[in-house]
Amino acid sequence: MKTGLKITLTAVLCLGVLVLAVCIGSVAVPPGDIAGILASKLFGLPLNARISNINAEVLWQIRLPRALMAFFVGGALAASGTVMQSVLRNPLASSYTLGVSAGASLGAGLVMLTGISFSFAGMFTLPFVGFVFGLGTVFLAMGMTARLDRNMENQTIILMGMVLSLFVNAILTLITALSREHLQQLIFWQMGSFSSKYWVHVAVVAPLLLICVILLMRYTREMDIMTFGEEQALSAGVELKNVKFLLIAVCALLTGTAVAFVGTIGFVDLIAPHVVRRLFGVRHSVVLPVSALFGGAFMTLADLVSRTILAPQELPVGAVTALIGAPFFAYVYFKRRKRAV
Amino acid sequence: MLNVSHVRAGYGSDEILHDVSLQLPMGQSLSIIGPNGCGKTTLLRAIAALIPFEGEITLGGKSVASMKRREIAARIAVMSQMASVYLPYTVYDTVMLGRYQHMKRTFFGRPSENDRRVADLCIEKTGLADIRDRRIDELSGGQLQRVFLAHTLAQEPQIILLDEPTNHLDMKHQVELISYLRDWASDAEHAVIGVFHDINLAMNLTENVLFLKDGNVVGQGLFEDVATPEFLHGLFDMDVVGYMEQSYGRWKTLKEGRKNGQTLQEQI
Repeated sequence: MKTGLKITLTAVLCLGVLVLAVCIGSVAVPPGDIAGILASKLFGLPLNARISNINAEVLWQIRLPRALMAFFVGGALAASGTVMQSVLRNPLASSYTLGVSAGASLGAGLVMLTGISFSFAGMFTLPFVGFVFGLGTVFLAMGMTARLDRNMENQTIILMGMVLSLFVNAILTLITALSREHLQQLIFWQMGSFSSKYWVHVAVVAPLLLICVILLMRYTREMDIMTFGEEQALSAGVELKNVKFLLIAVCALLTGTAVAFVGTIGFVDLIAPHVVRRLFGVRHSVVLPVSALFGGAFMTLADLVSRTILAPQELPVGAVTALIGAPFFAYVYFKRRKRAV
Repeated sequence: MLNVSHVRAGYGSDEILHDVSLQLPMGQSLSIIGPNGCGKTTLLRAIAALIPFEGEITLGGKSVASMKRREIAARIAVMSQMASVYLPYTVYDTVMLGRYQHMKRTFFGRPSENDRRVADLCIEKTGLADIRDRRIDELSGGQLQRVFLAHTLAQEPQIILLDEPTNHLDMKHQVELISYLRDWASDAEHAVIGVFHDINLAMNLTENVLFLKDGNVVGQGLFEDVATPEFLHGLFDMDVVGYMEQSYGRWKTLKEGRKNGQTLQEQI
């Protein structure tokens, strides 16, 4: 199958998942009404009399921004997971390897604990602080790696990220142990959730994520070459240090933003690239965009399951991604392997 | 002309190469030979500017250290060892990655007409046409080595650097690779520099040799002029030529059969 066709098919599937996600819920919105509601909201056309106003508001105010938020966050995590697995030449590397989530959690924990609020950040104080702490941790890890190892070897980067993550996590554990009244709030934040995500969140997150992914798309060839090893990449003409730094920085930005807004949701970033490589081959010009689409669709689906399966109770979406994802991953992985043997 | 003058290099505070100089005109090839740990690989890395070094290395009069990676890649290619397959690219994609430094930055990394032409040609020349769409993790060692050769050729360099290129190859593939490289290097604008343990292979590929010991050049020139039995004995601390003669004698008995029913070992 032609690559273009594969990507188009994936995009169509994603659209299908998004439609499902906005239709299903406590109030069922018929798929046929979506176009009418969107036309009315976006272009001010009169709403078809057949469509109830409540449906229109539920779809526009609640479901659509939530679904889009899940889609963009899933895409961001999957894209950065793909890049990290290439840059660090490690199939277990993920967006969180360098300590973004640990840092962001500490930031979020401090905000909850102190109740601090910055006037310029307003309702975004928690995401803002989480973002700064998340990114700060990654750059600290990179900075310490650079001091220890001038060549910035992958093993050193990964080790430093792990050590720093554990250290930052320990600080967070200490703090929460000393102030238990915030424990529950923090735990729920860490589990991740897309509830109460509105257009204002989408408006902040979506453009940033789109720009980052587009930037990454320009470096797919470098990602390909880097999988053959650092020396090979250098001798093929890649400005390795700069490219590596740029790619890791963009990934940190993507993951930092995602975690700051919705908490730590694992698994998507790790498995999306593996699944996509099984189905589409390993070239990053294909794997990166398709991983982003797949991760987005997968996250939207996971969020749909998390809010509907035990409604009105919501399950933590981070648990759902792993609950659906692990068997699915095993299926795709071993099915292909059997055929190869 | 490649000119290496008074180069010192090492890792961290360990200096491995002390004051190495060599000159290599285009159209010639050079083998680098020496005991383990003498700095052969370090010298190759310095020439490709993969590691920092003191002293000066120029190619066509221009300092390698001042070039951008892409400029270096347009002139010098390092043929990779096969140990480094992480993701299963196809043969064609792997060869095409050799075109990296010639390509413009585009969105989906689409190669140009010329890139495709060169990659096709390199695949053709290395006899990979039948397996161009296979995954590289499914290939035999010999096939994989040819894929990396094609990748290196696709880079269209002036100089190819090789580090123990025949390590994982059986004899047929060793001979094939060496004779291919000898052909390539006979072009007046090309040169090959190879690090070898196997002196036989080195003599099959190049006329010239540079002997290293403990990070210093101890001999340089034509094999016939430099590699005397006494010199090799001193370099490797063993009677290299005697050893070779002995195995050659054994080969002869394989060809002629037993003499008076005795093997060579028994005759000695």
